Amino acid sequence: MDLLPDTAAPDPSHDAEGHSGTNGKAPVSGDEGAAMQGSHEFGRASVARMQGGDRAAPADVSRYVEDDATEPTQQTGRDRSPDAVTPAILHVDIDAFFASIEQLRDPRLAGRPVIVGAGVIASCSYEARRHGLKAGMSLTEARRLCPDAIVLEGHAQTYRCFAEQIFARCREISPAIETYLDEAYCELTGTERLHGGLVAAGAHLKERIRETTGLSVTCGIGPNRMLAKLIGKTVKPDGLARIEAHEADAFLCDLPIEKLAGIGHAHAKTLRSMNVRTIGELRPLTPEVLEALFGAPGRLLHGRCRGHDTAVVTEREIPLSISRETSFHRDTADRAEIEGMLEYLVGRACRAARDLDIKPRTVAVRIRYADGEGAEQARSMKIPTDTDPQVLALGLELLRRLFTRRVALHLVGVTLSQFASDLAEQGLLFDEAEAGRQNALFRAFDGVREAYGHGVLVSGRALTLKGRMAEDRHGFILRTPSLTQ
Amino acid sequence: MKLERIEEAVPVRADFQGGVVTPVAFRRGGREHRIVSVNARWIDRLPRHPHFYFSVTVETGDVYQLQLQGNDLLWWLDSVQMEG
Repeated sequence: MDLLPDTAAPDPSHDAEGHSGTNGKAPVSGDEGAAMQGSHEFGRASVARMQGGDRAAPADVSRYVEDDATEPTQQTGRDRSPDAVTPAILHVDIDAFFASIEQLRDPRLAGRPVIVGAGVIASCSYEARRHGLKAGMSLTEARRLCPDAIVLEGHAQTYRCFAEQIFARCREISPAIETYLDEAYCELTGTERLHGGLVAAGAHLKERIRETTGLSVTCGIGPNRMLAKLIGKTVKPDGLARIEAHEADAFLCDLPIEKLAGIGHAHAKTLRSMNVRTIGELRPLTPEVLEALFGAPGRLLHGRCRGHDTAVVTEREIPLSISRETSFHRDTADRAEIEGMLEYLVGRACRAARDLDIKPRTVAVRIRYADGEGAEQARSMKIPTDTDPQVLALGLELLRRLFTRRVALHLVGVTLSQFASDLAEQGLLFDEAEAGRQNALFRAFDGVREAYGHGVLVSGRALTLKGRMAEDRHGFILRTPSLTQ
Repeated sequence: MKLERIEEAVPVRADFQGGVVTPVAFRRGGREHRIVSVNARWIDRLPRHPHFYFSVTVETGDVYQLQLQGNDLLWWLDSVQMEG
């Protein structure tokens, strides 16, 4: 079926949701924040869209499945053997994630402009976006544009639970999914017959997510990750769209260059200075020229601007990194407070690693001064460890190297990465008994915290935070807790 | 909106029909608060025993967050969100 008249119309309130974390961003995103400009006509794109404001609507797959004859397995007239398997990826993006959950938790917020964030907008409802608000904007600016906006600091733990519920629904239809903070890629290759068509699978998933969580998601289906995500963006919020490989050329041609995965603000500026404004205008550039402009990753752009993306959906049992960071309630230069916060964050990160039975090899510390300047440094350990003292020692060393200016700190954070599984790593030859004792000790701490709350055990420097910060059973209430894995 | 943390263990009357937990009322400060709607429910499976969370609206219109801990089946009143 042909494109519905209103379906390809770009959504002015383009989602720029929740990518404020350090490692929660999907790698194919070229530019999350920019709004889609212009309209796009792209041949026979099978696009369907659920109209917004229809939350309680019953499942009606027929609204999406306009013409299953467009399903690849049933297509004729193309150079495909009957047994050929067409790659298919489904991209799921949770609409205005944090703000939607807040509206769900408190019905009094429904239909009102809601902002989640402290200092800057982490997420805002579509009602707020109508006033020009978007993720990353300062709250001062947001309040100026929308004085009626309701600002909430957010509930990181709650958002994680909802995301897990949504990803569990994705696993019901896909053998492999790759998850990020508020989005997921689902491998659907070869599942057409199982689901009665790819669009039907997307529609079913949307309804299941709405049934179980009350949230709406936007689904894009494409022959690769990049196209699946891009086509989804054209039907946000609460939409469902599909693009096939032969439609990619026409679809991409007139899109702004910033939309291409791998083109950020800096690259876009370079290209615009060369009069390359659309993805189509990038095509005449050879891989060599692109490499000369942007280094080795530039070569990938040559394929991407033609709709080729070879990245596969990878189910990560071990996360790439575990990050814990926060801004201070008040900018501070007090070393005791800063080191106390770092110790607390290291403790939280190590506990998360122990829960997953993984040990980090690399520790990174990140700071941001009150004047906006930031610094980050990482170091690796010879033997991976998940016990607090070793990780903290390295973290404090990095902090002392980084924190050299006589300016108050606004933010501090720690990131653990390069994980090794508990079973996969060779242990210490002579200190194994000591390492085992420490490990047992911290696992016992975890047990106590699990039973009585994280705040019942506070170590060393983190004691300086007692009395200065509010606490609940989950520990200190951070101003802007990181929401990343 | 103003969030006030409560963090109190409270007695809760709940319906367990069909394997689904639904809080019906809770008692706090000698007063019973009847729940008029369960706005949202979610489960935190990260701890060893799951924690079941409920966002509920009571008769007065205030929105409370209740939590049922899977290990000891103890109910906690986490917070209340008030207008203003």
